[in-house]
Amino acid sequence: MLEGLNRVGIYEWEVPIGYVPGMRVAGRFFLSESLAKTLEPGAVQQLANVATLPGILKNSLAMPDIHWGYGFPIGGVAAFSVDEWVISPGGVGFDINCGVRLLSTPLLHKDVSGRRDLIDELFRTVPTGVGAKSCLKVSSQSLDGMMVKGARWAVSAGYGVERDLMRCEEGGVMNAADTRFISAKAKQRGIPQGGTLGSGNHFLEIQVVREIFDPDAAKAFGLTLGQVCCMIHCGSRGLGHQVCTDHLKILESATKKYHITIPDRQLACAPITSPEGRAYFGAMAASANYAWANRQMITHTTRQVLSKMFRVEYEEMPLIYDVAHNVAKIEEHILNGKSRKVCVHRKGATRAFGPGSRDLPPDLTSIGQPVIIPGSMGTSSYVLHGTQLAMDRTFGSTCHGAGRIMSRTQAKKNLNGREITANLLKEGIIVRAHSENAIADEAPGVYKPSDEVVNVVHEVGISRLVARLSPLGVIKG
Amino acid sequence: MSFEEIPHTADVKIHASAPTLEALFSETFKALMQVMYGTERGDGTIRKIRIESTDNESLLADFLSEALFLSEVEGLVFSDARIRINGYCLIAELRGESFDPARHSGGSEVKGISYSGLEIMHDANGYMLDIIFDV
Repeated sequence: MLEGLNRVGIYEWEVPIGYVPGMRVAGRFFLSESLAKTLEPGAVQQLANVATLPGILKNSLAMPDIHWGYGFPIGGVAAFSVDEWVISPGGVGFDINCGVRLLSTPLLHKDVSGRRDLIDELFRTVPTGVGAKSCLKVSSQSLDGMMVKGARWAVSAGYGVERDLMRCEEGGVMNAADTRFISAKAKQRGIPQGGTLGSGNHFLEIQVVREIFDPDAAKAFGLTLGQVCCMIHCGSRGLGHQVCTDHLKILESATKKYHITIPDRQLACAPITSPEGRAYFGAMAASANYAWANRQMITHTTRQVLSKMFRVEYEEMPLIYDVAHNVAKIEEHILNGKSRKVCVHRKGATRAFGPGSRDLPPDLTSIGQPVIIPGSMGTSSYVLHGTQLAMDRTFGSTCHGAGRIMSRTQAKKNLNGREITANLLKEGIIVRAHSENAIADEAPGVYKPSDEVVNVVHEVGISRLVARLSPLGVIKG
Repeated sequence: MSFEEIPHTADVKIHASAPTLEALFSETFKALMQVMYGTERGDGTIRKIRIESTDNESLLADFLSEALFLSEVEGLVFSDARIRINGYCLIAELRGESFDPARHSGGSEVKGISYSGLEIMHDANGYMLDIIFDV
């Protein structure tokens, strides 16, 4: 482990106050000894930098998929007192409400095994990659609907069913959305991209449930052994990217205006109650809504493909759940025995609300929130459930994915996209992407093993394992 | 005058150096386009932009963000930029061509230009910087 850090539990480490100047609270992160070997000093520095922000509550936190990002580390969680202090785009990132959802089907492994035509058809139908435009026409009125009503707009436009909304974090819409703070540029980028996947680590994957760890939770979520599911990972596209760019600039001036000292310009921030803070929050919420609508539109396209190819009814493909993993939200948490409104930033971290939480659909209240953790291409993804311990320790948060360990430069140099595709095919996994580079960039070896990451959150108890899924086919941007 | 990609775990980090500030901006712009669209980028189409900012780092981030915006909404892939800088004001002539999926699909979409660690340094040999693009 890096020098200057204190071990405080089997899987828990402290970044003491003083690790960087100006820390107001200590940093805490969760990691196994084997994962600790890949921890970068830059990631710990970023975790410590977050601890310098005014109004930070308890600890600057990071999940076991912690890695070096910009502003917050990826895997970072921090909560701020709503009455007193800050909101920062550095705690959300450019891809606002990048998130993941899991769609179930009545199909079994044998129905789709080796069906290259399914992966080809999804690759042809769901727009992916750099420069891809939507085939679902979005008007400027529809764009407003996406930003104000999120997944609810998409369902009312015919891209889903009412029940889908019950299975989205926040019901698929943040009511704080305020489109007055969305620039014309952001809108211009948002219109052609509604219903597109994007590139980088975004993907659509056909998976099969390989293992059930918690039969009661799996049953409540709608998961059975051998069942085929579809995982969709994407965000708010150019609209969200532009909102972050626009508001970062505004908040940089605001940081000076409110005399806030920050160790990294990407941590530009303002009081949540200030005009600049409110404007960012309203625009960020609108972008989050766009992302929920976007994932809902891709869900619709996917259901149509599956309906056509396998004669499955639309209603036979219910949504298991949809989680955001780049977002800031106002939530109620218990602090020193009292319920307080706080602004929780999750940058590459997933909400993991425990049993009894208010935001859960009634049939899941006794189990806890479904948590969806995508693996890297070719490795297992996991479904977990949220816990009371997460509410107590991490503002109801857990990890969001496997977490990178190899840089993209190294990946391109050491890995060959064609070989990776051939090797995955030997394992029964069909991969389609626009370029070999995109495959090398996201190859299984560039990420921490997803099973080790989820094992840490399971052992710590900030979420508990429900099921493991493995990929059968992947489409990448 | 050059740029190179240096290791960064999650995103793309570029180191660029050039004898003048204008050339440094131009190199970083070319790096951005190469990350997004690969090396086969032609010209023939010209776009002019003007950016004003508060310091050199913001001027660069604003310039690159504007290039990202133009590239995305107009479907243009740029190959080169002729840049003039006066104080914290920049005028650029961007040269490029229309996006062609057959030649330009090999890259990574850049989501934003990060300020993390962005500092333009100057010594007797010229200017240099490290910059992170979120991909």
